[in-house]
Amino acid sequence: MKKVLIVDTKAGNLFSLRAAIEKLNFEVTIATSPPEQLFDAIVLPGQGRFGTVIENISQAGWPAYLLNARESNIPMLGICVGMQIFFEASEEDKNIAGLGWFKGEARALDFPKKPMVGWANIESEIWPEACVYFVNSYAIKGASESIATTCYGETFCAAVRQGTFTGVQFHPEKSSDAGLQIIRESLSRNIDLVGETINAK
Amino acid sequence: MPNSQLLPRIIVCLDVDKGRVVKGTNFKQLRDMGDPIELAQAYEEQGADELVFLDISASNENRPTALKLVTDIACNLSIPFTVGGGLKKLDDVKAFLDAGADKVALNTTAVLAPDIIDATAKAYGSQCVVVAVDVNREADSSLGVYINGGRKLTDKNFFDWTKEVARRGAGEILLTAMHKDGTGSGFDTELTAQVSRELPIQVIASGGAKSEEHFYQAFSQGADACLAAGMFHSGDYRVGDVKRYLTDKGLSVR
Repeated sequence: MKKVLIVDTKAGNLFSLRAAIEKLNFEVTIATSPPEQLFDAIVLPGQGRFGTVIENISQAGWPAYLLNARESNIPMLGICVGMQIFFEASEEDKNIAGLGWFKGEARALDFPKKPMVGWANIESEIWPEACVYFVNSYAIKGASESIATTCYGETFCAAVRQGTFTGVQFHPEKSSDAGLQIIRESLSRNIDLVGETINAK
Repeated sequence: MPNSQLLPRIIVCLDVDKGRVVKGTNFKQLRDMGDPIELAQAYEEQGADELVFLDISASNENRPTALKLVTDIACNLSIPFTVGGGLKKLDDVKAFLDAGADKVALNTTAVLAPDIIDATAKAYGSQCVVVAVDVNREADSSLGVYINGGRKLTDKNFFDWTKEVARRGAGEILLTAMHKDGTGSGFDTELTAQVSRELPIQVIASGGAKSEEHFYQAFSQGADACLAAGMFHSGDYRVGDVKRYLTDKGLSVR
């Protein structure tokens, strides 16, 4: 059974996320600080403010662990703010720098009603048509790593991908079966599937 | 309104008492409708976009049981859900959000101590805060804001109150038209549309739904989401039936 690490950014409960990943037959470990052992995949949850999450993970020493994991091509999935932190900055907390793995910053959505709350279709070159649940006031408007988009007043990145890293602006753990498929696909990037079958549901 | 891919939502409401989903036939009798988790999963399969559990938190004596139920729901449901009813202090709100609820619905407490809206939004974000506003079209056609489950009229001006709620940081307003509740004559689409136009947050229409046509009326006039209970619990309609109807009428839904 593939082992998945959820990084506890101390910004919200992780019940739904854990349950969603366990439904996919992964073994889940939640950690508040970097563990000794390696995992088959890593998930950054999507709760909390940009600045709070950056501060919490920095204090716990996660950035070096995550960089090492990236260099080892371990599949990673960042959800919502858990994706935004890998960019350079966010309008949500202007004085706090992001991890800067990707160029660009999260900006406030240009729409009269905020936050964006609800289901929207995403357009993607690599994923089949999917309707997923968004909860956000900020988004990455454009990135060269973009693999899916949606529109709320303007087009923004619904997902980004580079190598084994996948970031999603929506909440796959709240997006019913469509979300589970995306979690499975993202956490299985470059994992050798021979010998162990990863089944949905 | 600018371009948006956001789709109108159908929300199913479940009343919970002592760990069971119940239906009030009148004030004294509550009919047992079943296990909350089984029903929640059934509604997710039917295509419900969100669920609301009301009164799950009402009784203080059963607090640990209620919190455990919320966690069980979070672990067994892959769509968002709101809990509400009887949340009095920020500590109550925190307890239920930490237990796994995606959002809390505040009603009486929001009216009596509105700072809880600001405090919850600040601590957890506006997306966690749904303020439920129970409004009644009075005999003189004025709009009364009610608390205590619709039993007590307040002196709140309805339009001022909905604006204040948005300003204080609510993410959504659940607008229940008491004068429509139980009539089966459809949502108060006009009032919902008016509030939805004026506010910078989403408005959920509630009260009066009995057929798929009522959802079409509300959505086509500007409701961001519609909530219903009875017509789904009775088995008269499945959520999917309503969505098929809306699709046939040219509305995009999930």
